[in-house]
Amino acid sequence: MNSMQATADSSARPALMRHFLGLMGKTLFIALVLAFFVIPVLWLVFAPFDAHPSLTIKAPQFTFHNFEVLFQTPGAIASLGNSIILALGTMILVLVLGALASYALSRVKIPGRDILLYTLLLLSSIITGTAAMVPTFLLMVKLGLIDSQLGVILILGSGIMPTVIFILKDFMDSIPKSYEESARIYGAKPLRILWDVGVPLARPGLATIAVWAVVQVWGNFLVPYILLQTPSRTPAAVVIYTFYTEGGQPNLALISAFSLLFSIPVIAMYFFVNTRYGFRFYGGIKS
Amino acid sequence: MSEIDADAAASQKLRKSERVKRKGNRTSEDGDSAGLGKGRAAAFVAPAMLLIAIFLVFPALWTLYLGLTNYRLTGFAATHPRFVGIDNYVNALTDSRFLNSLGLTLLFVLGSAVIGQSVLGFAIAWMMTRVRKGVKSVVEFFVLLAWIVPSSVSTFLWLALLDRNNGTLNTLFGTGTTAWLLQFPMQSIIVFNTWVGTAFSMLLFSSALGAVPPTQLESSKIAGAGAWAQLRDVIFPHIRSHVLTNTILITLWTFNTFTPYLLTAGGPDHRSEILPVYIYRLALSEGSLGQGSAVSLIMILINLVIALVYLRILREKKS
Amino acid sequence: MASIVTTSLVKEYPGGVRGVNGLSLTVNDGEFFALLGPSGCGKTTLLRTIAGLEKTTSGRINIGDRDVTDLEPGKRKIAMVFQDYALFPHMSVADNISYPLKIQKMRKTDRLEEAEKVGDGLSLQGLMERRPGQLSGGQQQRVALGRAIASRPEVFLFDEPLSNLDARLRLEARTFLKKLQIDLGITTVFVTHDQAEALALADRIAIMKAGTLQQLGSPREVFQRPANIFVASFVGSTPMNLLPATVQDGRVLVSGTSLPLPASAEGLVAEGQSVTWGARPEYLHMSTTETADAFLGGVTISENLGASVLLSISVGESNVRVVVGEDQEPSMGTSVWVKVEPRRSLLFDSDGDRIGK
Repeated sequence: MNSMQATADSSARPALMRHFLGLMGKTLFIALVLAFFVIPVLWLVFAPFDAHPSLTIKAPQFTFHNFEVLFQTPGAIASLGNSIILALGTMILVLVLGALASYALSRVKIPGRDILLYTLLLLSSIITGTAAMVPTFLLMVKLGLIDSQLGVILILGSGIMPTVIFILKDFMDSIPKSYEESARIYGAKPLRILWDVGVPLARPGLATIAVWAVVQVWGNFLVPYILLQTPSRTPAAVVIYTFYTEGGQPNLALISAFSLLFSIPVIAMYFFVNTRYGFRFYGGIKS
Repeated sequence: MSEIDADAAASQKLRKSERVKRKGNRTSEDGDSAGLGKGRAAAFVAPAMLLIAIFLVFPALWTLYLGLTNYRLTGFAATHPRFVGIDNYVNALTDSRFLNSLGLTLLFVLGSAVIGQSVLGFAIAWMMTRVRKGVKSVVEFFVLLAWIVPSSVSTFLWLALLDRNNGTLNTLFGTGTTAWLLQFPMQSIIVFNTWVGTAFSMLLFSSALGAVPPTQLESSKIAGAGAWAQLRDVIFPHIRSHVLTNTILITLWTFNTFTPYLLTAGGPDHRSEILPVYIYRLALSEGSLGQGSAVSLIMILINLVIALVYLRILREKKS
Repeated sequence: MASIVTTSLVKEYPGGVRGVNGLSLTVNDGEFFALLGPSGCGKTTLLRTIAGLEKTTSGRINIGDRDVTDLEPGKRKIAMVFQDYALFPHMSVADNISYPLKIQKMRKTDRLEEAEKVGDGLSLQGLMERRPGQLSGGQQQRVALGRAIASRPEVFLFDEPLSNLDARLRLEARTFLKKLQIDLGITTVFVTHDQAEALALADRIAIMKAGTLQQLGSPREVFQRPANIFVASFVGSTPMNLLPATVQDGRVLVSGTSLPLPASAEGLVAEGQSVTWGARPEYLHMSTTETADAFLGGVTISENLGASVLLSISVGESNVRVVVGEDQEPSMGTSVWVKVEPRRSLLFDSDGDRIGK
């Protein structure tokens, strides 16, 4: 009994030590990770409410004044409106065209369907906004769609359309066919069946796609930056870089408040989708 | 009431199994359950395909042609572009600025995607399997936040962090007035991109780790394996395909990201001019559309190679 | 209302597989008609072809005096209840039942009133606002029936209507379905793989195998006088005794026992002909005292069926099954005589077809 206790003790000490070191290491790692990811964000939390915002992160002298300035700045709120127009426009475009296409592709075996789908997906991942910015710019000039929000919507919509079709087809495939057959027996026409049965049953998929499309467009800088010139049509992602003081310095009060206002909708939507449906991995749900 | 519920549940279960059985059955011809027919199906698909053809595929094909001309944004060559053959490609491939840009891009991808995001993402995912749920959700929230914040905002956050005079980093480290973005431009955008993109790797690895059978972990623990041995013998074999998927996807995205432009604009002195930034400056700032197109096409080809490797891996995983 | 006539109906799938192979049959007006067969026999394909969900390869389909072969399903004046009921999960019971009326562009108040009426007839009061997911299997089935009724079809088509219910509910629903069909008097075709269901419900049964018709007749006919060995072994809850036999001296030699020739085969067989002798276990009589024209053998297995017992009796090399009343159950190993009446036994020729009418 005694000897057993002794051996247990002597082996317990290094084990305890190791456990302690492990805990230290773990805590240190988590602290570093948190520091790395939290510190840059702190500015977004404090500066908007600081009476004298600087680039340094510091506890604010609390005020809502920056938001007042923001609401008085010409073009600031309008640019958020532009962001909404672009985001909703693209969303509606990809939802309507994507639902129609994915439904037909799911239900009718067009020869070479699978190859078509993979080719589209391949195209959308290799022809990125950055790689195709030159011809895209020229195309929009030729079509007279330069400096038009419709042009931006068409470009952004076509870029995400393959992924949309791919994901929605997955959802459409999972709807039991007897629902549609049932509607068909009672005389419903294909569009009607899609509207009465397909759309309601694919709602989780459509919602996911809708949010995803909005988030994609909301944060996109490059496409509107290249294609839009008139300030009153430019979305928030671009306008934020025009907030300078008369002295040529970035207007921090304005930028910080604007950044917060601009970020909140996407953050909210992401966490809404996450809690409602959970994150799913599709080929590049956020790129 | 409860009896009815139980019955409903039972019937649902039954129906599910029936449905599985039916799948194997040849119940519907071509699965055309709505009676679309090929003609109407084509009409349903056409608008989406038209959109993709005009605004996605056509520009890519046009790049091919543009890359063979001396097209310029302004001036005589804007109205009268001349066919110059493969001059642009020869120029590009021999231009030291292009080669510099390509090298920087490789460094950027290797540093921020392959090493930064993958390793950090895996380390966090792995650590999160061994902490309390509360800690896990806090850490995951902040990692995810960096990913979600619009790029225009996140670049500004980093401008603030790295600023020479008032930047938080200099205050924290006591590094005086180090101008991080000027003195260490590549390092800065690599760390920045790691910060932005780690969330994807973390999420992917954390779902992969969740799929490792706990019984295997337990039996290796019983066999006396330490954390490292467990990682090597049990976990890594399980997540190998995820590592590949993750690496290729983030490589593709990192290769195509334009966001670093907002931090350094490719400077100073081309020292952080990765390919997307190079194309932008060459074609749209300096106006050499033909030359820019040639580089675009090179970039699309590199994308194609990466994507084909990915598709191949996917197919191998399926079979 | 309407009869259904199929003429040389063929349904061929891409790849040349024939789900229905040249089928001609008539379902009479107001009849409750069963399509019975093992899975893959083409019964569901036939039903779906009648519905128009599958395109006809060749042949015609008539409903009443209309040729519907090339009509869209929605124009055929049919209603179909699917195996999984296919109730729209996002619609209430009332909306589900009134959906056909919505398609027919009936006003909302009118169609909800109509749904109410139909629902009352099916004892769905108080459930009209629920979603299908909140209903029991039996209730879901009644909603599906309600939707079919509301469309006022000339023909009902049911695909395995009872297979999604558990055993206890199934019997209840069976009785309900039969009563409903009698009350409505609408021509009804249903598909089932369960012979007991077909026997219990149908006025007439069509038994199918590999896309072709094997036998068409009333439940009594197919049970008592199966047209061939396939039908004989498929119909009946205990399989028919089917034993190789030889015609000898105007009698039939089965497993070393000489039995009188079945009445139907009299005068139709030749001396020495190889045949298959068949008799249902329910039609055999067991006796513990010596009986003429009977098998003699020992009881090897005894299976309790509730009010009756299924005995396996070893006769020579063969095994003969017989159903006896619960009071009659002998102990294992007992030697018993099993007798069969000539009019309750059958002979099948070497192709498997029944000899005689």
